[in-house]
Amino acid sequence: MKKAPFAVVITLLLVFSFIFTNVLACSNQTPTPKKPLKVGFSIPLTGRAAEKGAPIGQGQLDAMKYINDELGGVDGNKIEVAWYDTNYDAPKATAIVKKLMEDGCLFFTVVASADMSASKEIANRAGFPGMVCFSSPSLTHPPQHIYAQLPDYGDDWAAFSRYYLKNIWKGPGKPKMALELLSNSTGYGVRDAARAAADELGIEIIAVEEHSATTISETDALTRIKAKNPDILFISSTPAPTAILLKNASDLKMIPGLTVACAHASFTKALIDSAGKDVCQDVYGVYPTVNWGDNVPGMAKMVEYGKARHPEYTGNNDYMIGWASSLINAEIIKQALKTSSVDALAKGDATAWQLVEKNGFLNVKGYDVGGLHGPVDFSDPVDKRGSKSVKIFQIKSGQMVALTTDWVDAPNIKYETLDWFGK
Amino acid sequence: MDTLIQNSMTGIAIGMVYALIALGFALIWKSSRVANLALGQLVLISSWFTYGMLMQLKFPFWFGMIMTVAFAVLLGWLIERLALRPLIGQPILSLIAVTLGLAYFLEGLTAFIWPQGQGYLPRVFPQESIKIGPATIQQELLWGAVISLILFILLSLFFKYHKMGIAMRATADDQLAVQACAVPVTRIFSMSWIFACIVAAVGGILISSIAAINYGLVETGFKSFSVVILGGMESFLGCIVAGPIIGLCETFGGSLLGSSVKELIPFLIIMIVIMFKPFGLFGEERIERI
Amino acid sequence: MSLPCGTRNYSYNTDMAIIRTKTQWVLFSLFLLALFTMPFYLPSSWFDIVNSIGILLVAIIGLNILMGYCGQLSLGHAGFMAVGAFTTAIFTNSLHLPYLASFLCSGLSAGLIGLIFGIPSLRVKGFYLAISTIAAQFIIIWVLKNWTDVTHGANGLNVSQASIGNFVFDSEAKQYYLIFSIASLSVLFATNLARSRIGRAFIAIRDNDLAAEVMGINVFNYKLLGFFLGCFFAGLAGSLYAQYKGHISYEDFTFQQSILYIGMLIIGGLGSSLGPILGTVIIESLQKGLTYWVAPWLEQTITFLPTGFSSGLNLMVFGLAFILILIFEPRGLAHLWSLFKGSYRLWPFSY
Repeated sequence: MKKAPFAVVITLLLVFSFIFTNVLACSNQTPTPKKPLKVGFSIPLTGRAAEKGAPIGQGQLDAMKYINDELGGVDGNKIEVAWYDTNYDAPKATAIVKKLMEDGCLFFTVVASADMSASKEIANRAGFPGMVCFSSPSLTHPPQHIYAQLPDYGDDWAAFSRYYLKNIWKGPGKPKMALELLSNSTGYGVRDAARAAADELGIEIIAVEEHSATTISETDALTRIKAKNPDILFISSTPAPTAILLKNASDLKMIPGLTVACAHASFTKALIDSAGKDVCQDVYGVYPTVNWGDNVPGMAKMVEYGKARHPEYTGNNDYMIGWASSLINAEIIKQALKTSSVDALAKGDATAWQLVEKNGFLNVKGYDVGGLHGPVDFSDPVDKRGSKSVKIFQIKSGQMVALTTDWVDAPNIKYETLDWFGK
Repeated sequence: MDTLIQNSMTGIAIGMVYALIALGFALIWKSSRVANLALGQLVLISSWFTYGMLMQLKFPFWFGMIMTVAFAVLLGWLIERLALRPLIGQPILSLIAVTLGLAYFLEGLTAFIWPQGQGYLPRVFPQESIKIGPATIQQELLWGAVISLILFILLSLFFKYHKMGIAMRATADDQLAVQACAVPVTRIFSMSWIFACIVAAVGGILISSIAAINYGLVETGFKSFSVVILGGMESFLGCIVAGPIIGLCETFGGSLLGSSVKELIPFLIIMIVIMFKPFGLFGEERIERI
Repeated sequence: MSLPCGTRNYSYNTDMAIIRTKTQWVLFSLFLLALFTMPFYLPSSWFDIVNSIGILLVAIIGLNILMGYCGQLSLGHAGFMAVGAFTTAIFTNSLHLPYLASFLCSGLSAGLIGLIFGIPSLRVKGFYLAISTIAAQFIIIWVLKNWTDVTHGANGLNVSQASIGNFVFDSEAKQYYLIFSIASLSVLFATNLARSRIGRAFIAIRDNDLAAEVMGINVFNYKLLGFFLGCFFAGLAGSLYAQYKGHISYEDFTFQQSILYIGMLIIGGLGSSLGPILGTVIIESLQKGLTYWVAPWLEQTITFLPTGFSSGLNLMVFGLAFILILIFEPRGLAHLWSLFKGSYRLWPFSY
């Protein structure tokens, strides 16, 4: 029959190609040469969080360049960076953390709390330590292998509440606070913190309103809040909805008069630009870093690199957060190299991860990050926050003015002891 | 009582903004029976283009507006020419799917050219709010409502009396007959897409100047679908009426049931309308024959 | 044209079989062998892509049953996957059911929810049905977001990996076997469904549902069955996704994902068994390849454009591919493949 030889030919071809690809695949796994020290970055450079993700990511990368070029790496070892853009997409973030583990990174740094939420389970299962710039209570409670660079939004709320009670509240009884929250982890961090600690601190929460990131007008929610006569309005959101809230509040004649405070997600120059100086006058804010241009040791280099490489981020405190996080990365490796050898760490496998966590992370005590933000301490086994302090600012004539010279401590709220936590 | 009036006014004003975007959808459906699922993304890309003109290239305001309208015209023409004309006569799945593909592509294009994810437009309208009785409304929302009404009147008149408008309605009814009358059907499709893009651009500029340019414009586009369904897909009057209804339901639902319900209400309304009156308030019922 | 000439059948069984000639048997066996020995020679960084292809394959097969065979437009598939994923998470965490039981339950729950949202198909068709499935997607995601007692809202749920008795699927290779066994069974089920009475009823409804009703097919029942089956597979896929990824929240299942699934199905080819496989493999590989290899390379080589421009690339390439396929080959790649097979068999007109 004519078809039989064809069939035989095809079958043989397939078998040969099968064997051939096997050989190719095996040949890929040649022994690799000596590996450098590698860290991984997971950055939402594009997508819905790009407004904050882009400056932070660029800060991270510029600082790494500074460390490698000018400081010669850590103890003479250059640090290689593997970074991927998550596009603020949860499945992508998960896939990226797996890729970073594959790439042999020592540990990874994630910018956005939502991306870390998506990545933490896989990292915790494998013991792959990670640091997150913008944290939320569910990432560090219960404490495992995830460390927070800065206090989270709940901590902002707690720190501001303490400051308010000590310095601003004069009247009898408890102040009445209304919360306006973004309907995602940015807002829910404050909601959980308020639920956990409001009674203890001495604050009465009279209203909790949520809004979405795409809202056009919040007049109706603010009308409801106004009807309950609050003393403080605490907003935890991103700049655009916060600007709308402030404008609506001003329309309703709630401000000036009401004390308004913002958590650090929205307290940036973008807020002042989009809401306008008049509406923002006297608004309080919590931010975990110093202000751009303050006189601290680490400021000069950062400003120099920022102006040279990314002038569009001048004055943007988010760039500072990214810069600081790379400095912390370098400090972690430096501590780890004191006890472990470069080769053991450079392997980038599970043993290397354990070493870098035990000898690196847990040995970072009181690192001052050039004064750019509160001192970083990862040695507490229960409190996985690096910097535990913030600064309180107030907007005066379109400028953010620091009200405190020292760092204000944000107390550690033990969420895992509360049975409603995590819901 | 005060809260009631405040909620009503805000609801109607927001609803008119949704109606504006829904007008663009109704336009295309009315002339070619294509469902434009890329509505939100058209709004997005026009807003970003305006941002590029005004903030990045720093053109003066009126020039930027003219450029945006020109861009919308070009975009509409390109979309119709490249993506929709090859699909004339294909089953409805292909048409819907191609607008979905277009939506994806436009979103990617936006992220490609403007990766920053969020942008702010200069304030177009005066900022002081107006008091109507006990209620306060942002002036921008009022301007939005007025613009929607003007566009609605213009479009209705166009479709009713202008030669081209009548031809568009005829095309939606029976394409072959229109072709037999020597009317260039392809030009009609182009015109309808161009108009829709212009409407989307106007809506985009309006919303972006109130809020900001971000992915939320696309989500507002989804809410406009509910306006379209409630009002009836080919009726402009339906859009203008249904928009405020949806806005009112949102604000009242939010105040009665909690602010997290606000996002759900447009979609619940879609489900309810489709179950009980699929063609909407003012839509035409299509009777299917074998 | 769909069989080589000279294929003769002497009984009804052989005439109706899926695999007809000896060549096809050999190729099929080789393929199965290659598939199930892949973990041994696959480079470890590829496991992620291959496993996610397997999970998506189950979902797209469900979508094929619903859209390809039954003709009902469904733009809410990611929402039904979410239902399945959360069901598994809740059942394994709170009720401590064994994984297989919660796996089946997630399929059932997603199927039931799909059934409920498929009720509009009685009244509307075409675009209106598409809009109601979009609404379904948003409603489901809203419920998952705000029912925080059960779903933990933005914090999401942690899911432990699948286990049968004491055997835990904790490595990528073991996950591979789990995922691809289920995927193969799904493909088998879908192929046979299309050839059965139910499948023929589906195809009749797709082609002309009024005529089908006139012929005596209970259109409403079969449409609901189509929704149930399609969403059942979506639920199974969601369950696999939950235990593979370890952590789920409502943000994992967006409307963009739903569009992506439709794209995979249409690019692969509606209404055939090969279509979903081709579509899933090609589109998912494209997406992952662009994210991991092309984007970083582009970022490094083209530095004069603002950073981050490459993330739009993923979306643009997919959108472009989708539009081009719709313009040039709306029946998808599976149709192109069958054209190729036909031309190969007929050329050079050897007889």
